[in-house]
Amino acid sequence: MNIWERMQVIDRRWVYLMVALAVIIPFIIPMKFPISITPETQSLYDAVEALPDSSNVMLVFDYYPSTMAETEPMAVAAARHFFSKDCRVITLSNIPLGGPSMAENVTRLIAEEYGKVYGVDYVNLGYKYGYVSVLKGMGQSIESIFPTDNSGTPLSELPIMDSVVNYDDIAFIFEVADNATADYWIAIVNAGYGVPMGVGATAVMAPKFYAFVGAKQIVGLLGGMKGAAEYEILIDQKDAAFKGMDIQSLVHLLIIGLVVMGNVSFFFGRRKRSREKS
Amino acid sequence: MKTGVPVAVSFVAGLIMVVSFFFNEETTKVGGLSQELLNWLIIVGGFTLLLGVVSITRVNWSGVRQKKEGWIYKVFTLISIFAMALPSLLPESWSPLFGRSAGSIYDWLFVYLQAPMMATMFATLAFYIASAAYRAFRARSAEATLLLITATLVMLWRVPMGEAFLNLFPGDIPAWLNTYIMNGANLAVQRGIIIGAALGASSMSLRIILGIERTYMGKG
Amino acid sequence: MTSVAILQIWIVAFFTLALFSFLYKDNPVYKLAEHIFAGLTAGYQVGLVWDTVVIQKLWDPMIYDGKWWLFVPGILGFLMFARFWPKYSWVSRVSLAFVMGTTSGVFITTQLHGLVLPAMKSTMLPLGGGGGLAQAVLAIIVVVGVVSTLIYFYFSKEHTGALGVTAKVGIWFIMISFGAHFGYTVMGRVSLLIGRVYFLFYDWFGTFSEIF
Repeated sequence: MNIWERMQVIDRRWVYLMVALAVIIPFIIPMKFPISITPETQSLYDAVEALPDSSNVMLVFDYYPSTMAETEPMAVAAARHFFSKDCRVITLSNIPLGGPSMAENVTRLIAEEYGKVYGVDYVNLGYKYGYVSVLKGMGQSIESIFPTDNSGTPLSELPIMDSVVNYDDIAFIFEVADNATADYWIAIVNAGYGVPMGVGATAVMAPKFYAFVGAKQIVGLLGGMKGAAEYEILIDQKDAAFKGMDIQSLVHLLIIGLVVMGNVSFFFGRRKRSREKS
Repeated sequence: MKTGVPVAVSFVAGLIMVVSFFFNEETTKVGGLSQELLNWLIIVGGFTLLLGVVSITRVNWSGVRQKKEGWIYKVFTLISIFAMALPSLLPESWSPLFGRSAGSIYDWLFVYLQAPMMATMFATLAFYIASAAYRAFRARSAEATLLLITATLVMLWRVPMGEAFLNLFPGDIPAWLNTYIMNGANLAVQRGIIIGAALGASSMSLRIILGIERTYMGKG
Repeated sequence: MTSVAILQIWIVAFFTLALFSFLYKDNPVYKLAEHIFAGLTAGYQVGLVWDTVVIQKLWDPMIYDGKWWLFVPGILGFLMFARFWPKYSWVSRVSLAFVMGTTSGVFITTQLHGLVLPAMKSTMLPLGGGGGLAQAVLAIIVVVGVVSTLIYFYFSKEHTGALGVTAKVGIWFIMISFGAHFGYTVMGRVSLLIGRVYFLFYDWFGTFSEIF
């Protein structure tokens, strides 16, 4: 067995070790490469920036705890941007697993930074089963779908909801998602009620959403951690996503290296095998 | 009776939703009816989640009772189900540990066990994707080579170090990638898939409403 | 940092490392963590659905707001449990049919109106739309890509002749898109790992100085 063949049967745990090292090294030796802003992120930022101050907006936490590292920085950046413009933020989630808890924790934390009051400046509607009925039903009346907020307080007792009946009263929807619910926000809410939308999607989903940006169904897109880092730069609050990009650089480089090594060993190994055959 | 009633229910419910689309939801009777049905859907659908939990409890309980292989782990599954569920069902007025608010057992278990464990489960995928890239990502054909080249370019473009590398070459490669790959070829394919999938979903929905598609009912 | 906070961080660290241990090989500690995770996930849904659906959407409106007719979806919901008795399991079909029918009714219109029509409209763009040559080239790429992708997934006719050539173009487009997808997916997966490593480095290692 020559070196090329040996490379092809390397124990997968060596690859895991290389990944672990690539993640750890940037913690010790930080790199400082500039992060450019893509047009999709810029247009989303511009759309939020152009909202009149004190608009009613929705911030939707449609992600599971599994993708928190990627999606939470987007939700945090969006909340900061909205609160800095004194927008009244309505949060909700279509995720039965952790969605309402994450909406609660993130929004409360950011609201404290900006001195915002629960029930006046922001509210967490929580979760209701079945995104199709939730999204469609809110077109007529938000209160009929969410009679109370996440902690059981009737919406009629929350001042923020005085001026909100249905989508007609919502100026913008910022959907942070790691699953197909984002498609339904676009298909049901944007198409049916014409509310402008922006999407923060996990990197796995992002390529699909270019089609929605192109069709002008969403005003902009944050694609994965890079998108979140770009938004953090735009709102001038560099945080978790920005810091994570150093690690991304090294791991991506490693994976490109692994692809190259894998192919080189494959071709040289194949050449040896065909030579032996002949 | 066993299939006729479900087909009729599905037809009537579906028809109301389709018809309501063409009427003003706020001012017409059919709009009000569709809103009521959507509310019903939330209630009925909610029970399906509970059904799933009852099912997982039954499966694990029978595994423990019959002392099947790995039954001891199933005991921990059962304990976890009840530890999470029971305190959340008790009224908050009895103790701040009950209910679902911050500071409750439910919230604590979510924040300190469930969420980090779920995040860790998915974090392991980073290792698997690296291993897969090394073992399976081969330029065996022209099509595979095209996939490989695009993947490499996009990987470089999406990270700061890679972008700095691409900028060493003449021409604005990052901008070119964004315009012609992501907003060109990729956008076209995704749009094609969206159109195809949406047409498929619509036709399947029509088949369900008309009672042609009945596989969701199972056998019998 | 309080001792309770430190203990909490150590509990999280234990389960994080327990799940990562599977990367080396399957082991009892991993299995334990995995089963606890499954149980917590199921338990979480009970609390959520009980409060947000059964109480807020069914019980309270029926008892306090006089919406007595909600007993109908309530019964439909309970009928779901008939699945556990094989003799009566067919009854649960009525509830399932209601869910399927209502959702299908919404889908027919929203899929066509919300996805198909906007996608088609934005594909049919004028070449001389004022965007110059680059914009025209992009518009052509999009039209060719959309059509050839749709043809590639059209299996009702054999892919020969013009259809075969178009499908071949389609697969080239699809490969480019899937390549882009892979590139993005790497970022997604690494992001999740970064989240956990952040926790271990900053939160967990941070407690070391407090303890030792």
